[in-house]
Amino acid sequence: MLILRTLQWGPQHGHGIGIAIRQSSAELLQIERGSLYPALHRLEARGLISSEWKSSDLNRRAKYYKLTAAGKQQLVAEQSKWKLMVKAIARVMRPAKAD
Amino acid sequence: MDWHFWQWRQRDSDLNDEIAHDLAAEAEERVRSGISREEAELASRRDFGNVSLLKEDVREIWIWASLERLSQDVRYGWRTLRSNLLFTSMAIVSLALGIGANTAIYGVMDAIMLRALPVKNPGELVILNWRTKNREPDVVRDHNGPNYAVPGGGVESPDFPWQVYELFRNHNNSFSTLFAYKDAGRLNLIVNGQAEVGSVEFVSGNFFSGLGINPAAGRLLADSDNVAGSSQVAVINFDYWRQRFNADPSAIGQTIKLDNIPFTIAGVTAPEFHGVSAGSAPLVYIPMSNRLALFNRSEGKAMFIDPHNYWVDIMGRLRPGVTLARAETELSGPFHVYVLASAANDKERTDLPALWMQEGGSGVDSVRRLLSKPLLVLMTMVALILAIACANIANLLLSRSVARRREIAVRLSLGASRLRVLRQLLTESLMLSLPGGILGLGVAAVGIHSLIWLLSGGEDRMSLRAGIDWRILVFTLCIALAAGIVFGIAPAIQATRVDITPALKETRASSPRRRGRFIGLSQLLVVAQITLSLLLVLGAALFVRTLANLHSVEVGFNPEHLLTFSLDARQAGYKDAQLQTLYARLDEQFRALPGVRAATLSDMPLVANWNSRVGLYVPGIPKHEGRGGPRTSLVMVGPMFFETMQLPIALGRSINTHDVDGAPLAAVVNQAFAKKYFPNQSPIGRQFGINSNVANITIVGVAKDARYSSLKDEVPPVTYLAYFQNALKGQPGSAIFELRTAADPFTLAQTVRKAVHAAAPRVPVTDIRTQTQIIDSTITQERTFADLCTAFAVLALVIAGVGLYGTMAYAVSRRTNEIGIRMALGAERYRIVAMVLREVIALAVAGLAVGLITAWGTQSAIKSFLFGVKAADPLTVLWVSGILFAALILAGSAPARRASRIEPLSALRHE
Repeated sequence: MLILRTLQWGPQHGHGIGIAIRQSSAELLQIERGSLYPALHRLEARGLISSEWKSSDLNRRAKYYKLTAAGKQQLVAEQSKWKLMVKAIARVMRPAKAD
Repeated sequence: MDWHFWQWRQRDSDLNDEIAHDLAAEAEERVRSGISREEAELASRRDFGNVSLLKEDVREIWIWASLERLSQDVRYGWRTLRSNLLFTSMAIVSLALGIGANTAIYGVMDAIMLRALPVKNPGELVILNWRTKNREPDVVRDHNGPNYAVPGGGVESPDFPWQVYELFRNHNNSFSTLFAYKDAGRLNLIVNGQAEVGSVEFVSGNFFSGLGINPAAGRLLADSDNVAGSSQVAVINFDYWRQRFNADPSAIGQTIKLDNIPFTIAGVTAPEFHGVSAGSAPLVYIPMSNRLALFNRSEGKAMFIDPHNYWVDIMGRLRPGVTLARAETELSGPFHVYVLASAANDKERTDLPALWMQEGGSGVDSVRRLLSKPLLVLMTMVALILAIACANIANLLLSRSVARRREIAVRLSLGASRLRVLRQLLTESLMLSLPGGILGLGVAAVGIHSLIWLLSGGEDRMSLRAGIDWRILVFTLCIALAAGIVFGIAPAIQATRVDITPALKETRASSPRRRGRFIGLSQLLVVAQITLSLLLVLGAALFVRTLANLHSVEVGFNPEHLLTFSLDARQAGYKDAQLQTLYARLDEQFRALPGVRAATLSDMPLVANWNSRVGLYVPGIPKHEGRGGPRTSLVMVGPMFFETMQLPIALGRSINTHDVDGAPLAAVVNQAFAKKYFPNQSPIGRQFGINSNVANITIVGVAKDARYSSLKDEVPPVTYLAYFQNALKGQPGSAIFELRTAADPFTLAQTVRKAVHAAAPRVPVTDIRTQTQIIDSTITQERTFADLCTAFAVLALVIAGVGLYGTMAYAVSRRTNEIGIRMALGAERYRIVAMVLREVIALAVAGLAVGLITAWGTQSAIKSFLFGVKAADPLTVLWVSGILFAALILAGSAPARRASRIEPLSALRHE
């Protein structure tokens, strides 16, 4: 879901996605390469993201990923699931209401 | 995103590039924060973690993803195919028939033409032949074996004089072994008192060692067995061992009598070995030296030294590193010297045989030559059937794909790549063709056996081994895959070529009409089917006419109700005068049997593809040495022959009981003979000689022309000699008896057997057939073709008709709206019908035109299979085109009628 969300802002290559997630979570989330790249390929295999080889700002060939229509749908679905889950956990963890 | 094999490597290298880029970007970042480049690179590599583990994980994801995609495709395809069971089952059945037929023909072809002999290193084997440029060479005075025509002129043969074999053996650097063999024919085999007839082969001592075969039991023949005087041993075939001896090892050492001459069984050949000639499997192999004992003729010993007697077949194994060309060059010279020395005069010196070698890995090709052309024709026919079936399925898939436009558009808009959808559609096609292929294997199993039975004329003289083995399975798989892709690819491409937005909004009313594009893929497919069907139907018509022509050929005698069988009393030990007396006595006895109207005998059956031609000496006509001069076909007949066969005598008398040994040699000749050698005069009383310089045979009668050896050939000059007169040196040892019966000939078979058994207990009665059966067996090929081609043609017509019907029905249903509008606007029903029929006629005419052009272009290919009718026979062509046209109009008329019955109101509301 995080990857999909990151890509909502536009196509990005693997390294850039890692940095974006780190930055937007204020350094709280640092995704291991060993998990990031398999996740990217899994998403690509499921057709939620597609890839393109472009020249990066390092003047090298890099693989840029972007969301597909199916990916956008999946993101929306996962976001609503996520919101539901957050609400549920918050309910459980809520301090008892003073009567 | 594909799972194609070669793209794995691309993806691997892409992954490496991706990782490399990440490392570089990471290093760049660190460099920017002030660390040296080297340190930065080291640090970023460390930070990355385990690269190979990462690559493994990603690769695993790829594999699982492709497996999951495959299962998705299969499940989706299964749902789609299930929803239209009629189409699915029809498609699978027609594919099974098409694939099965192709596999069956391939299986037979493989057994005959392609399979290598089961010996050591078959690639090293070479068969020796000779060739001449123009005609049969004169140095060959006695030829025991086949002569083949060489395309481009000349003849070729695998038979050599014995001395040449010895010459080659002593004279070679190219061959590690040279071995010889010769078919001994079908002899009487007696084992444990049980008699049967089977093929026997003479072989040289090094035959088995040269081929590299191991015995399944006992030992095989060796050079020591070939020395004259050594005890007579024989080696038997594995299958024969299993059948006759139940594979009992105690068979070794038992005695087997071949034509009453005892041999000791020394061993059994390996199970897979069936001789060196595909299609004939000898049951027993005996040493070459025994050839003398089994042939009583005076030529016996002379055969081994006569330089003009060509009979022995030779095969060799090349030394490692030696090519066939080199071997041929090495032996050509000595062979040429030998034949030159054997030539008696200048005439014989022209057109001497020249050595010619061919690869022997797949054995001797006598059966191959016989069947390869017919098999090719059959292969073309079944390929056409499969093509028609595929075109049909492709067309049906096309119409269905148009109906699925919306569904496909939705999938494309959701992000599926075109390729993905294409692959899924192809998977569906393969889900039709692969089950079709599996069913086709069953069809092939039946087909192979029936085909072999058909081709060998229903007799089991041809022992072809063809069954389902791994090669056939691979072939079936390949054809199934190819068929699936062929009929699936075009509709799949057509289906995915969809403009998304209009397709999503599409309703029936607005679906694009093919008005502008008159020639769509669907129409092309129908035209193709019609073309192919025309070829098959035309072929069928031509073959049927050929068969009819053959059946109506004037035979010249009455073949009905004639029972024939063969006796060879030599096999029970009778000789010379005893033999003749026995046959004469049996002839009388048969005549007296109840139910027998007349009886006679001859030395060979008529119209059985048997041929005996000899040189003629007619005083006044210059004689040639060797083969150039006057010749006649020959048959020796007993008394009452012409009366029994109902072959009319035009002049003089027939052979009768006075024509016996000692009486003046008498002959009846046919009208062709008389016309050729005694034109414009009565030949009665004239004399001539056979194979000699003395004219000692007197013509006593002239018979009307009758077929001699085949229905197709012109009647040759025929001489009918008296069987009991021994006009030729060396009497015939066997006799064919012909009995004219009152009722069905076979009802007398038992009676005949009993009569023979009473008079001569150890003489077996063989080859019991009716004359009509004999004649029919000469036209087996034509009959097979006529039968098969008719079946194929009917099948093709049905499939093409269904194809046309389906296409037109679908076209009509898609244009329901348009038709409704037209009718609402006042068009009469017949105009609607005309509109549809116009398209049907256009398709039919196009298909027929292309078909006729193709038929014209390929007529020379089937010319040799026809008799009495030309390949471009106008009447047949007209007839066939008419039938096809009518059938197609019929197929198209139903949708046309349906179109005319559309109610305008419901059509307009039709979506």
